Amino acid sequence: MAMKFDPITLEILWRRLISIVDEADSSVARTAFSSLLRDAHDYTCMFTDRKGRELAQGSFATPGQSGAMALGIKKIVSSLSKDSCKNGDIFITNDPWALAGHLNDVCVMSPIYYKDNLVAFTACVFHHSDIGGRVSSDNHDVFEDGLFIPLVKLYNRGVLNEAVMEMIRWNVRTPDDVTGDIRSQIAANHVCSEKICQMLEETGLENIDDLADDIIGLTEKSMRGEVAKIPDGLYRGEGIIEQREGKGDVIIKAAVEIKKDNVIVDLDGSSPQVDWGGNVVFNFTYAYVFMAIKSMFDPQMPNNEGCAKPITMKAPEGSVVNCRFPAAVAARMQIGHFLTEIIYRALAEVMPENVIAGSGGTPATMNVFYGKRNDTSPWHSVIIRGGGMGASYKEDGHYVSIFPANGANTPVEIFESDTPLIVEERALLPDSGGPGKFKGGLGRRVFFRVPDDDYAPSGPVNLGIQSGRFRYPAKGLFGGGDGSRAQFLVNNIAGDPYGLTQIKSGDIVIMDAAGGGGYGDPLERDVGMVMRDFLNGYVTLRGAREDYSVVIDPKTMEVDKAKTESLRRSLRKA
Amino acid sequence: MSDKIYRLGCDIGGTFTDFVLLNDETGKIHINKCLTTPKDPSDAVEEGIKELEKGVRGFVGKLNEVIHGTTLVINSIIERKGAKTGLITTKGFRDVLELGREIRYAPYDIFSEYPEPLIPRFLRFEVDERIRSDGKVIKPLDPKNVRDVVRQMIDMGIESIAVCLINSFENPVHERMIKEIILEEAPEMSISISYEVLPQIREYERTSTTATNAYVKPLTGRYLSRLSNRLKSIGFDGRLFIMLASGGITSVDTAVEFPVRVIESGPTAAVISGQYYGKQFNIPEMFVFDMGGTTAKSCLIQGGVAGVVPTFEVGRVQRFMKGSGLTIQVPVVDLMEIGAGGGSIAKVGKMGTLQVGPESSGADPGPICYGKGGTMPAVTDADLLLGYLDENYFLGGEMKLDQEAAKKGVEELIAGPLGVSLQRAVWGIHDLINETMAGAAKTHIAEKGGNPKLVTVIAFGGAGPVHAYGLAKKLGAPRLLIPPIPGVGSALGFFTAPRAFDVLRSHKQSLEDVEFSDIELIFQEMEAEAGGIIMKAGEKETIIFERSLDMRFIGQGSETNVPISVDNFTKITREEVRELFDGIYKNLYGRTYPESPVELINYKVRARLPEHPLQLPKIETKVSSLKETIKGIRNAYSPVVGDFIPYTVYDRYLLFPGAQFNGPAIIEERESTAVVGEDASISVDDFGFLWIDLK
Repeated sequence: MAMKFDPITLEILWRRLISIVDEADSSVARTAFSSLLRDAHDYTCMFTDRKGRELAQGSFATPGQSGAMALGIKKIVSSLSKDSCKNGDIFITNDPWALAGHLNDVCVMSPIYYKDNLVAFTACVFHHSDIGGRVSSDNHDVFEDGLFIPLVKLYNRGVLNEAVMEMIRWNVRTPDDVTGDIRSQIAANHVCSEKICQMLEETGLENIDDLADDIIGLTEKSMRGEVAKIPDGLYRGEGIIEQREGKGDVIIKAAVEIKKDNVIVDLDGSSPQVDWGGNVVFNFTYAYVFMAIKSMFDPQMPNNEGCAKPITMKAPEGSVVNCRFPAAVAARMQIGHFLTEIIYRALAEVMPENVIAGSGGTPATMNVFYGKRNDTSPWHSVIIRGGGMGASYKEDGHYVSIFPANGANTPVEIFESDTPLIVEERALLPDSGGPGKFKGGLGRRVFFRVPDDDYAPSGPVNLGIQSGRFRYPAKGLFGGGDGSRAQFLVNNIAGDPYGLTQIKSGDIVIMDAAGGGGYGDPLERDVGMVMRDFLNGYVTLRGAREDYSVVIDPKTMEVDKAKTESLRRSLRKA
Repeated sequence: MSDKIYRLGCDIGGTFTDFVLLNDETGKIHINKCLTTPKDPSDAVEEGIKELEKGVRGFVGKLNEVIHGTTLVINSIIERKGAKTGLITTKGFRDVLELGREIRYAPYDIFSEYPEPLIPRFLRFEVDERIRSDGKVIKPLDPKNVRDVVRQMIDMGIESIAVCLINSFENPVHERMIKEIILEEAPEMSISISYEVLPQIREYERTSTTATNAYVKPLTGRYLSRLSNRLKSIGFDGRLFIMLASGGITSVDTAVEFPVRVIESGPTAAVISGQYYGKQFNIPEMFVFDMGGTTAKSCLIQGGVAGVVPTFEVGRVQRFMKGSGLTIQVPVVDLMEIGAGGGSIAKVGKMGTLQVGPESSGADPGPICYGKGGTMPAVTDADLLLGYLDENYFLGGEMKLDQEAAKKGVEELIAGPLGVSLQRAVWGIHDLINETMAGAAKTHIAEKGGNPKLVTVIAFGGAGPVHAYGLAKKLGAPRLLIPPIPGVGSALGFFTAPRAFDVLRSHKQSLEDVEFSDIELIFQEMEAEAGGIIMKAGEKETIIFERSLDMRFIGQGSETNVPISVDNFTKITREEVRELFDGIYKNLYGRTYPESPVELINYKVRARLPEHPLQLPKIETKVSSLKETIKGIRNAYSPVVGDFIPYTVYDRYLLFPGAQFNGPAIIEERESTAVVGEDASISVDDFGFLWIDLK
């Protein structure tokens, strides 16, 4: 391709563009109210050229949002007619089908003008913790999910459309926070616009069209180069995802075709959309397919339209991975998060060193607790949890994180001060990682008790769960075993992990997160590593023997080399 | 006291140990540098002092104080050379240290590395006890259970024990009982209990900090007692202070008890110098820029005060990636560090564009021009080829640079493959590293609510003055300040560091319900504790206490620090505290929410002694005209012209107060070189600072 900039100037300007988004990004930390934004960084800033082609996004962008935005903003920009966009306009929407798949993700988008010409668009999506509606995963349609804002102008040539703001205020529970965070989005876009104009002025450029061509072109070339290394062929993967008791499984089928330097993903044959909130819109499905492909081919490459160009995705309309309006979508992560591992599974045979086995943190688990204290004051707490990560060709799976999404846990001491509950244990589960040459990450137990003394709550404690892996464990790869399943026990009896559970004083609850899948034949695992796992209690004496055929003498606490050797040899023969 | 006229600052770095000797009567400064002796760092200290004595006879006996900074603590963590350490914690929670906060710091990278906990699982023990979040005991501690556990730990050869129980920050009774039992069983055991190290809510951060303290405590104790003895043996009878990461200095006793607070003192010295100059010259916003061989560190100083943050990450396993290190919670100066230095390596990246850093050739083998076997072109090679550095005057001529080899390297590895001229390539390397630093600087400044167009950039470090002009241009900063001896001058900060110690307690209470008389009691207890510690650092001086509260909106994830200026909580109302919070919150985040209720989380006290004034030494006039300060004319690259143009080269040691000249100019001194373009003017003040105004 013919380059318009020399490779040094290009790198300098490219870096400038990324640092402009990062600057906008860090302004959010200063101006946003919600801790979901400030502390969990559940937002994404980006900008595109005037045609809507993504050019740069914040370095800490969230995979679900960033992948969906690249696609969504491009569609929105191309749908705008020539005269519908003026200097000073600011658009807003939370249309799940246009952007990130649920109403809580609100997008604010602004055109950028330089010397009266449209040169770029900047946009950011924030996850708002409140968007009104009935906060539940078993809603029947998107109307129950909350307030739906179609693509409208929040500012018209610099003038605020008060009616839109007022409409939002009256449809959410915490109007000051929501409108405050929307203002923070406007501020982030403002930073981005200002800095881009400043850059144009400093460099003497009239627009960023040439720069965009070079950046996208080079990135595309590099991504295609990576794809071309993979032998052509059609590679298939499948995922079976459980639903609540009494409902059939959801099946997702992926046919991944590598054709020269193109990746074509076809999800034909996947289950139809469901009658609860697990439905995934096309963009969100794409985001986690993209997450898989990006992480496999080049995780370090800066994100822009060029990375996505070699990728095409098809998903049947009306299926659970491309649901139709007005499906309920609030619990989209329960199904959407699985896309990444399904793609890994499909491509594992040709790219064995670029994938990991199934993860216990797929999907992310969300627990909503609420009730009343002994003095009848209300309390409310939301926690998110992961599980053991899948193992890879070179290392064990990381112990406990959310994957492919992301998030931090809530400290026990914070949880106990926010609620009347007592956490008795939060610990790794021995033997929960799928056995393998490299073992899956361990799952983790959370064990809590509702007090029945002076601190006993008044009335029941409500516990809502969004989760998975109770029936189908995270799968191993290349002979590696599956991770352990998730568990939900109330007073040691299996509870319903997909609904709302009421628990009372004196009850004990155990929530075990699933372990990750193993990678490779467990008989090939280094005996010293098994011993180290045993000494640290990651693997029990029984686990060492049954999963790894390593015999440890409990008296000497040493490996019985002869017995281990013969046991492993006999199993290899069989 | 009258004969104790000297103070010595001594900073042990990875490669060099720096010395700055100050005569408080004359203001005269002597510097020295010698190679660090990793086996026993006190060897270099003794040697360096003896070398200094050759120039300043008999100063050791006249030393009032020695202020010592060391990287010993951080290095022993990174290299995993600490003690065999065990942990005692509440039943059900031995994995707290390993689970951490569970976040993935690189969302797209499935092969991210995570640091191993300092205490492996088999050395983490549980005792059956429980305290509720309000401090009430649910399950009493069984001393026999503890004794069994402790004996088991002793049998395993554990040298240091960390104790961290759930909710102990509200009630330390069980942690204290455990400490007593350990002392009964093993009087020599090194012990760190979380209530003393960090009595703060959030069990992972508290456990990690306590474990880290325990891990480095034995070796820090051994080293500091060895150092004290050596100093005594060569005739030193003044006081020894240790630099903390917070920017304060403290007594040896305190450093031995809380070595985790020392962590890393080197980088903070530049910031402390910066704070001092900021106050001295009344500069409202100053950007400290300290560029060495491997990294560039920077910090925004507002109103003469650098930010102090409560969290630090040690030993990031993925270079410079936030989240990839061990979290400890101690007060540290808010520094931003990126992989950009004179040794940063230039190469052609995967996309076919130029890349510079974060990999570095360090000091050994170093850039190609060092002639020590380096084969990868680095920033210093480019600086040399641009004419900014003199091949015959690097480190004052001590080290001859190989221009030809550097040229060959850049031609073969950069210019050729990229298809650009040598000139384009070397300027590209210089400009790109500046762009990287400017990008990071803008983000850091934005996070602090500053404005890059208003800052005065102050440059430290060997490479700082070479790149500061380019950085300032990219930031749009109007002014650049280069202090005397910027190459080692940051050690001057040691003399301006306050003798201070911070203590903290967590106790969550809503502002609505809290009894102010209870808060007063907590603060009085903390002041007694902090006062006791600070007394060790100064005998009869008045202790100054600074109080603050960490507050947040109820339900919010992070806290905002609110300084409280009154000395007694019975003299302040609820409304006044609320107003203070809202004022600071608005300042930081643009707006506040007076109708949302707030809560108190942490109570903080900083105890400090009055600062020792430092008289900046005035420079002498050694020549009668500017002409005499000129070493010659050298062709160097001008980005404005896009070609090499003549730069006037000045000898910094001959510049005099009131000297004024315009760029293009190169000002050389032994440890560093300042480069100034043609669109700037330079003036020299009474103290030898270069004030550079950019147009």
